[in-house]
Amino acid sequence: MKSGKHLESPLVVKGTSKSTLALILASFAFAGLALGAGIGSTGFESLFNAVDDPIALQIIMDIRLPRTLGAWLAGLLLGLSGALAQGLFRNPLADPYLLGSASGASLGVAAMLLLFGAGADVSSFVFKLGLSGAAFLGAILAVSLTLMLSRGVQHTMRLLLAGIIVSVVLGALTSLSTLLEPQIIQTMQSFLLGTTSFMNWSSVLLMGTVWSICLAFTWTLSRALDALSLGEATAISLGLNLAPVRAGLIGALALAIGAAVAQSGLIAFVGLAAPHLVRSLVKVTHDWLILLSSLMGGLLLLTADLLARWLSAPEELPVGLFTAVLGGIYLLKLMYTRNMNRESI
Amino acid sequence: MTLTAIRLKNVNATLGSRPVLQDINLEFKSGQWTNIIGPNGAGKSTLLKVLAGLITFKGEVAFPTLKDFESKGKNKARHIAWLGQNEIGADDLSVYDVAMLGRIPHQGWINAPSAHDTYAVEKALKKTQAWDWRMRSLAELSGGERQRALLARAIAVEADILLMDEPLANLDPPHQADWLDIVKSLISEGKTVISVLHEVSMALMGDEIILLNCGQITHQGHSSDPKTHRAIEQVFEHRIQIERIKNRWVSLPNLNSDH
Amino acid sequence: MIALFISLLNRNLFLPILLLSYAYTGFASSYELVDDRGVSVSFASPPTRIVSTLPSLTEAVCAMGHCGSLVGVDTNSNYPSAVNSIKHIGGGLTPNIELIVSLKPDLVLMSKNERISQRLEQLGLKVFVLESVRHRDVLRTLEKLDAIFKTNDAQRVWLSVENEISKATNSVPESSKKIRIYFEVSTGPYAAGPNSFIGETLTRLGVDNIVPTNLGDFPKLNPEFVVKADPDLIVISDNNLVDLLKRPGWQEMTAIRENRVCTLTKEQSDTVVRPGTRMGEGARIIAQCITSKGVHH
Repeated sequence: MKSGKHLESPLVVKGTSKSTLALILASFAFAGLALGAGIGSTGFESLFNAVDDPIALQIIMDIRLPRTLGAWLAGLLLGLSGALAQGLFRNPLADPYLLGSASGASLGVAAMLLLFGAGADVSSFVFKLGLSGAAFLGAILAVSLTLMLSRGVQHTMRLLLAGIIVSVVLGALTSLSTLLEPQIIQTMQSFLLGTTSFMNWSSVLLMGTVWSICLAFTWTLSRALDALSLGEATAISLGLNLAPVRAGLIGALALAIGAAVAQSGLIAFVGLAAPHLVRSLVKVTHDWLILLSSLMGGLLLLTADLLARWLSAPEELPVGLFTAVLGGIYLLKLMYTRNMNRESI
Repeated sequence: MTLTAIRLKNVNATLGSRPVLQDINLEFKSGQWTNIIGPNGAGKSTLLKVLAGLITFKGEVAFPTLKDFESKGKNKARHIAWLGQNEIGADDLSVYDVAMLGRIPHQGWINAPSAHDTYAVEKALKKTQAWDWRMRSLAELSGGERQRALLARAIAVEADILLMDEPLANLDPPHQADWLDIVKSLISEGKTVISVLHEVSMALMGDEIILLNCGQITHQGHSSDPKTHRAIEQVFEHRIQIERIKNRWVSLPNLNSDH
Repeated sequence: MIALFISLLNRNLFLPILLLSYAYTGFASSYELVDDRGVSVSFASPPTRIVSTLPSLTEAVCAMGHCGSLVGVDTNSNYPSAVNSIKHIGGGLTPNIELIVSLKPDLVLMSKNERISQRLEQLGLKVFVLESVRHRDVLRTLEKLDAIFKTNDAQRVWLSVENEISKATNSVPESSKKIRIYFEVSTGPYAAGPNSFIGETLTRLGVDNIVPTNLGDFPKLNPEFVVKADPDLIVISDNNLVDLLKRPGWQEMTAIRENRVCTLTKEQSDTVVRPGTRMGEGARIIAQCITSKGVHH
């Protein structure tokens, strides 16, 4: 009955481990949040001064708390998107940007800067839309374009190819914009490289709302994702209505990743690594995977943001830099340990 | 008088522009085990997929034993189970979780597993002797163990009609024998089993054989009928010989050196 | 007093009249100015704690004599030397919002950046945007600063800038007039077009620009264009020089062969590329370069 190829793996007791992990991730996030109130240009003193200095209080309440919370929420969205992308495309290497959302966001920002300058007329709708709105719209429109190009959601290969095409073409258009108006490069880059310094309570509310909606929606479809993991044919034979489910999940993916990019710029690796990290710790079906990946993503980005703000205070490093470095190291480690345990990756 | 489980009328299927199934008119009897065999590329998997409704085709496929609503959509999934060939993926799920996926047609997408669901899964896993290691993830299993987990998933559906494409892949002889026992017990429960097999000897253990060659039915008959045996030998270019050994019909290879 | 007297006559009028009188006194000393975004910013009194996120604005504020009011400047602000001891609040495009807030400024001076200005205003800070693109914008900036500080120094400061530019113009020998200059602003190569403030300075100095006006203020040029135009003089900052020499075909250009290349040090570069009160000094540097490389047309 038992074959020699069995690896000794600990018997994962389903109930305890996954909720323990959720609890751990949530508690660390809470600790991070508390820490975030104290990290910044004026350090922990602001915490102590907050009692009698209204400016110090404002720094804590209006700047540090919303941005720390915002970093966590953006990470939640990224982790969710990552698990969603990997489940939708049945590919552990999928990252949430693969349907063109990253290049769409970049082009949105570039177009906004190109057409309206870094400082649009205050009264205009465009001003209210802001760079965040432009990035969000760009991401959504890019995914829509991908769906149009692939003529629906039936064929995974077509979807992926369309995504590549859209990414490349929109990327080229973005480069063209920077050629026409080189002054926008710096503003664009500083937006895209990622920072939480512009997050306020309305960004927090926005991201929180989007996350709740996407999580709830994805959770109801988590069994569909499990069925999909057995292959499209099996999933259909189990009664899955493939097209609408896929379309709905892609919509949730676009919404989640669009909201994250709009607020925090293009953050690399979090969406890719969060589900991997979760799967390396527990074996779970998609219902728990989505939630745990989300929490893991939140913790990852929160940590990266805290590091970015603390390491060279009062200067701030772009948070995207940290996620790239940390994520890269993790994936390297993943690659090498896998090699030792299996014959093939 | 056995009922017809599935009836095909003038079914044509293409892969791209290439015709794979041509003018298929066929009836599968209910409550029996039918095997579809034939040379490579004959269109066997395609035929099975047509039965499962997984590909588009021209013509009619009817399920006389099912009520009308039962043959559509979600309801259909409760009555017809399909086990495909070479299924990849789901590496991170545990064997138990995979088997539980077979209950989706009964559960819906949100509800927690009912008592009957857990019972059905346990029964299915024990049938394929996968119960003891139900907590291992698919990735950790050997090819045969994996196949047994997937088989359990198909059995867990508790469908009236089971469609299986090359279900013996990677199974070692003891487990091939187990599979035979499983099919026999399913038949005794009144289910209909239709399988595509490469192993002719195994196929001869069934009730009926359907011979498919180049997208057309060349013969349909009882597995103990000599006419069927001759038809099988012919379709395989007389490279096999069907003999009776110890109360079983067995297919033996014909070596060129025999002549 | 009058308000009190009137209100004693009629109790019902007391509150409204009191409020009106406060408003009157309020209006009397508060003033409103429109910044370069078109936003109306009101001041109760001239600001005393200023944060500047642009070096040219820092220099303008100091040129008008209000260096002491600066409590925060961006990392690139380095002139005058007094500025180096002021708290640095990060780059112009990536300022540390928290740090700015902690400095409790009563005014933030910056160039157009919707994201930053919006955030700062959200946090209750007063933001005044001044954007200088051409020479005349610099005068406008000085006049706006005058209005903010309720002073009258703009004309004086501007006049001294103008005089410096004129002096620089006069220092350029007749034989060097009408030479054709290629001013490289950064690797790309991005050149200074005639309508940019640098281009305007060049025009004032009486020299020609190889870049035509229709290409824009700071166009990214095709390197071949520059080779074909074969400028008489190249002006570039010293850290970009290495890249310039590597470009194919450039080694053969007259200006390169005859070493008619002016390299600007970091200090000189900072002076020349800021559209502000040091434009006169910038003109002088360029004029010196033209004279020294002795280019005769």
